[in-house]
Amino acid sequence: MDTPDCENSLTTLNSFKETTIQSGHTVLLRLPNGETKGFKVEKDATVSIGRVGSFRANELIGQPYGLTYEIQGKELTVQSPRTLQEVEETDATNELINDDEFVQPLTLDEIEALKNSGVHASEIIKAQIEQHANYSLKTEYSKEKYRQRKEAKYSKTFSTVEPTIYNVCDHWFKKDQNRIRDIRPDTLSQILNLANIRPGGRYIVVDEASGLLVSAILERLGGEGRLISICDVDSPPAYPVMTLMNFRKDVVTKIHSSLNWATAQEDYTPASALPQELSSEVGKSDRHRIRLDKRKIAADTLTNAREELFAGEYDALVIASDYDLPDILENLVPYVAGSGSVVVQSPFSQPLTELQSKLRFNPNYLAPSITESWLRRYQVLPGRTHPTMNASGSGGFLLHALKVYDDPNASRVPSHRQSKRRKKEANEGDSSTPQTLESYDARELEEEDVIVADEEGQTSEMEQPS
Amino acid sequence: MWSTARDVAAGDLVIVWQTRELIQPLLITPGKDFNSRFGYYRHADIVGIPYGSKVGSRNGRGFIHVLRPTPELWTMALPHRTQILYLADIAFITSWLDIKHGSRVIEAGTGSGSFSHSIARTIGSAGHLWSYEFHEARANKAREEFSLHGMADIVTLTHRNVCKDGFTVEDTVDAVFLDLPAPWDAIEHAKKALKKNVPTRICCFSPCMEQVLRTVSALNDSGFTDITMFESLLRPHEVHQIAPQPLAYAIEKLKKSEQKREEKRQNQIARSSKRKRDDLPETDAENAGGKRFKTQESAGDDVRAFDIPDPVVDQPANQPVKMSVSKACPEVRGHTSYLTFARLVPAAPATNRQ
Repeated sequence: MDTPDCENSLTTLNSFKETTIQSGHTVLLRLPNGETKGFKVEKDATVSIGRVGSFRANELIGQPYGLTYEIQGKELTVQSPRTLQEVEETDATNELINDDEFVQPLTLDEIEALKNSGVHASEIIKAQIEQHANYSLKTEYSKEKYRQRKEAKYSKTFSTVEPTIYNVCDHWFKKDQNRIRDIRPDTLSQILNLANIRPGGRYIVVDEASGLLVSAILERLGGEGRLISICDVDSPPAYPVMTLMNFRKDVVTKIHSSLNWATAQEDYTPASALPQELSSEVGKSDRHRIRLDKRKIAADTLTNAREELFAGEYDALVIASDYDLPDILENLVPYVAGSGSVVVQSPFSQPLTELQSKLRFNPNYLAPSITESWLRRYQVLPGRTHPTMNASGSGGFLLHALKVYDDPNASRVPSHRQSKRRKKEANEGDSSTPQTLESYDARELEEEDVIVADEEGQTSEMEQPS
Repeated sequence: MWSTARDVAAGDLVIVWQTRELIQPLLITPGKDFNSRFGYYRHADIVGIPYGSKVGSRNGRGFIHVLRPTPELWTMALPHRTQILYLADIAFITSWLDIKHGSRVIEAGTGSGSFSHSIARTIGSAGHLWSYEFHEARANKAREEFSLHGMADIVTLTHRNVCKDGFTVEDTVDAVFLDLPAPWDAIEHAKKALKKNVPTRICCFSPCMEQVLRTVSALNDSGFTDITMFESLLRPHEVHQIAPQPLAYAIEKLKKSEQKREEKRQNQIARSSKRKRDDLPETDAENAGGKRFKTQESAGDDVRAFDIPDPVVDQPANQPVKMSVSKACPEVRGHTSYLTFARLVPAAPATNRQ
């Protein structure tokens, strides 16, 4: 695929990601009950989505993402988008409706027979409503809910979900949030902004979130820039999240390299030395030569990725990992450019709290801060606006700091003067008092030199203005 | 946009970080000086040093950090002309609207440009932002800023009231962001500006629920679907170190103070019987001693981990173990705005079925 054509199209957006559904894509489908599921769409194959039905994949290929379809036989018809319906206020209440009352004389078998006869979902629902003993007593809101519940059950419709990073993150968060380290879409968006991800930027990522961070950064790079991911397995893992993004693989290969924790060490040497170039030339079988070539390509890729990492000057480092965080930072922060961002995610506050208490006295980090993301979703139906009943408890925690270059000389002078002034003010025995409250944060770093005893360090914590 | 070079050059816009509360932009102009509470600096001294450097003042009154501008830092440093959007909302809106490399976006109004900078960064030179501001002076100021920040190619700024006059493009953009007092008046215009043949998105940013309800009806009437609404916040946490004392410390302290009280009582009895005998007044020194003792006690009530353990009580076995803990900062932003989102899906998309 390494044609010059491809090279040129690198800068054009559509080459990184198709805007229409293509054969080979894994497409998220939203089912009538609101659930989303991924399905592989292959030319000439049949896509079967359980109770909702099945259809020929070719019907979807070439279509834009985000439309709603109804399955009729094996054919798909595009549904026009549905708008919200005003619900008319009536005098009905549930005063006369008793719980556990027998209201639906239509038996399961009868419903099954209706379904098998191939009538439209709306016919089944109509039949159920007609038979329902108390339907007319219901409030209009309640009737609407009833219809919706039935539709979720019988409707043969589905929507294709656009593979945006928001949708993919949301899908995984609902499906299995542990596998993406509880990274909620809002938290993910904050990571991307805090790390200043932009087209053309260069980033290092440690992703133990099933490839969510790798996918999100690649999506934002859009084919321009560089991403090096560091993993704890031999070769780059197949990221399950990335499958749903439907990136073009050749473009991804160009901007994304992977190293593991061993190969990311500057003193690493491969266990077996490379064969000499000479040996591949003389009297070897084709198979042998191909094998040697393959090894050489792999070795070159590795060497290049290592050299690239060690060259440093990365715009940001993004971490979602269970490994010791100070260790990771010590390993990778040297490759981050001055003023670059370090963003660390954790579902727990403790690892970040520990890390923050280490970084705050390290003059190579500026303003390490911990945040927790908070998100509340609302239902906004006309006349029925309220926060949704089910909400996620927490979006997890982020630590953000900027890498800076210390200058010990820049701090020694003011410390000296400070202590002189302090003497003048006879403010003895309190070496960690900042000049003014506001200047505390800036002082904080310089005081590392001053504070030797631990107890004093703790005293200074107490005085920090919030 | 801003410089991506390793070192600061003359003419660069840098962010000068003094404290968390004092972050300001500075255009590096050799020959000029920078003065603040934290000393005096020459711009010329900043030229040629790497971004992220700590710089000591020339008069030894402190130091600053010279940082590379990012939209996030700019949001913290920018001159406020209006209420601005902050990280949590900007990030969430960007993500929901699927704004990325190459996106074409509309925003109204421009305000202080906090959102504009973030969007320009995210879409890059392959994308485009059409920004509209109805306040002329603000529009001019923002235009000046955009050009100074090297964003002139990415952002087109128009001074106009979009509720009345609509937008300058049609069937062009992927996403629209409305931060207007009456977004419902701009929704039909937004619909025209959005691309016709692919699903597109809109976000309306309103602080009040009443505005949300009107917006939702307007969106619905214009054929937008999947209408939903969010509130997003960042809760900053502060970190403390604590070391819970062993109970033995309190027990010993109480026992000791009880013992001291008892001794004092015995002394007083002894003294009063002596006074009765000698008929002498109590001395000042004894009085003062009693008072000091009391204050010491009340200080002890405030049980802090930071107290230096009593060497007599403190045995190595029950040495307090230090730990880092965090809690949400007591005073945080509780509400910014409601974010109302919706999609516009083409009714009959141009199909090229195979």
